[in-house]
Amino acid sequence: MPTTRMRFHWSLPSSGVADRRRGARFRTEINQFADLDRQRDFCVRADELGFDSLLLPIGFQRADPMVLATAFGLATKRINLMPASRAAVISPTHFVQQVNAVSAFTNGRIEINVVSGQGSEELRYYGDFATHDERYARTDEFWTICHALWRREFPVDFEGRFIHVEGARINQPFVSPDRHRPYVYMGGSSEAARRLAIRHADCLLRVVEPPEQLRPKIEPALDAGIEVGIISNLIIGSTHDNALRAGAALAENAGERGKAAVAEWREKTLESVGFNEIYRLAKDRASWLTPYLWTGLVPYMGPMSISLVGNPDEIIDAILAYRDIGVTQFMFQARPDLPTLEFFGSAVLPRLRRREAAELAAAGLVGEGR
Amino acid sequence: MTTAPTKPARFMWSLSSVGDKARRSRALAAMSGLPSLDEHVEFCRRAEESGIDAVLMAFGFTRPDPITYSATLGAHTEKIRFLVAVRSGIVSPTYFVQQVNTLSAVTGGRVCINIVAGRAPDELRYYGDFLPHDERYERTDEFWRICHALWRAEGPVDFAGRHYRVEGARINTPFVSDELNRPEIFIGGSSDQAHTLAIRHADCLLTLPDTPARMAPRIEPVLASGTEAGLLVTLICKPTRAEAVDAAHAVVASADENARARHGVLRGRSDSVGYTTTYELAARDTNWPTPYLWTGAVPYLGPPGIALVGSPDDIVDALGEYQSIGITRFLFMGHPDLEQMTFFGEEVLPRVRARESIESTGRV
Repeated sequence: MPTTRMRFHWSLPSSGVADRRRGARFRTEINQFADLDRQRDFCVRADELGFDSLLLPIGFQRADPMVLATAFGLATKRINLMPASRAAVISPTHFVQQVNAVSAFTNGRIEINVVSGQGSEELRYYGDFATHDERYARTDEFWTICHALWRREFPVDFEGRFIHVEGARINQPFVSPDRHRPYVYMGGSSEAARRLAIRHADCLLRVVEPPEQLRPKIEPALDAGIEVGIISNLIIGSTHDNALRAGAALAENAGERGKAAVAEWREKTLESVGFNEIYRLAKDRASWLTPYLWTGLVPYMGPMSISLVGNPDEIIDAILAYRDIGVTQFMFQARPDLPTLEFFGSAVLPRLRRREAAELAAAGLVGEGR
Repeated sequence: MTTAPTKPARFMWSLSSVGDKARRSRALAAMSGLPSLDEHVEFCRRAEESGIDAVLMAFGFTRPDPITYSATLGAHTEKIRFLVAVRSGIVSPTYFVQQVNTLSAVTGGRVCINIVAGRAPDELRYYGDFLPHDERYERTDEFWRICHALWRAEGPVDFAGRHYRVEGARINTPFVSDELNRPEIFIGGSSDQAHTLAIRHADCLLTLPDTPARMAPRIEPVLASGTEAGLLVTLICKPTRAEAVDAAHAVVASADENARARHGVLRGRSDSVGYTTTYELAARDTNWPTPYLWTGAVPYLGPPGIALVGSPDDIVDALGEYQSIGITRFLFMGHPDLEQMTFFGEEVLPRVRARESIESTGRV
């Protein structure tokens, strides 16, 4: 059992905090600005409920996560903002400069989620024509430079295949009570993503799978001393049956249009190892992978709708089952997000914290913060 | 005076050195990069009260990132706009548009852009930019063609240039503003390429001042294309001309010979046409190319130290001369900025507006 305190995060939706069809929409129909004020309120509420961080994903249908991290960071008090970052769209020096600026305005409440991009079609919107493997190589170069800048090993000289800087320095430091750089998450399910996370990140983020299937995939990261987090959709009901009904209603509501949007999205993200694995799980096996892990929404709402389903007790047991294999961070989303954030934050999170404290005390351990 | 100004002058102020007592006379690497947020918020609020339209958010390794910093200052202010400096070589144009659009959404459209080419090649290399001066303009041109196409939102953008290539580009989150579908765009520079870029992509060309007589023919093609022209200049305005001249000399006295030496080094590194022109202007026999334009601080503070100096009435006249050749925007710096901007708002701006009002009612 890991002694690191569990951390709970939420992924901010682009299509609205009250959208029951998150993931079941064509991306071209989405404009995140339509819901910006309510998303700010959502961040404030997540902060009040005691969540640790808010993921601000990146994509052409979304607001820029770095500017949002600034605006939402100013609107909140304790919660961390976690903008997603793609290496191909910005100079690493400029990126570090942006992160350091946000850290100064939010007293260090910024973390980074490194993504290599799910589909090359969208990456070409941004001028990125690299192959999947080249993208990982470039991300490696990008983060080598970023870390050198955060260690303030000025001047930083680096000449790689993709990125070349000479004499680089940034005067403004990362500002935080206890860190000299942001905490870094790296998402991805490929071997390349795992190697990159071990080299540059503090936490490997993976889409949820059954624990026994996940365990061998995360062991190298845990052995290397970094944390592991899972991303999952949540469907919580006051009873098990209520949760099942809620899940069925979501699929019905998404319907054929949702299926069409997912099919289009799948076509555009064929290179994503993690997504392919979810589609395969959803197709090859019964929709219940474990008593609480359900793929029934995937055809309607996409790979990120693979869900932990149950009443509060069942959700707690599910989370602790992942913690038992070494997972310490949990990134949730829901359909719609707001009521589930409320339910989880008020009915599940406090009980999880008490269970965690009791178990650690029984084991003679005191939970360590990060 | 043959031409009456066609529109009222608009005024901006540089936030670059606000709160920095040793502005522009220190080694850049010695700057902390941590400005006082409170001081800058106070400055922006005072700018709003002083009739200033926008504050310049400069770009450089010594400063906070101007985009996220503008988002922060925007959360503490109501009206002031942020003139965000951007270099083309360090960000994808698509991602840049997305950042700017998001900044517009969180500030209610209070964002405009200042295109800069970057002055010192060694600093550009910090950011991974190794292009020579002339190719930087070509790249900037490509960058802005893509940005404008994205802002026009006429469908997926395909572009294949020498420096940028995008395919099917689109951004769903639009520029948010009551009046515009894209930010107002300024471009700094004095070279022919800068003028061409201004005509093609910008709403206003910003240049360092020369005498109105020498500037008029240079900016004429820009104005003829419908692009505005603006001056980037230090303002040294005091109740009397004598006090203003004393204040100007005090600026030089407070910078020391180290600053002079340092600017000698920077001058050697710069490949900017505007900077070279201003250094040459400052090297002439007199520090006073006109009765109000003073180059005495340039050797100490660099080209942006070129100043309009005088009493409020002198400054109103000086601005009027530039307005008469078609200049409609003024971007000021002061020593110190807050006091000078406040004095400008109280003593100069009302007189400028009074004069503009008389001139406009005097026209038939």
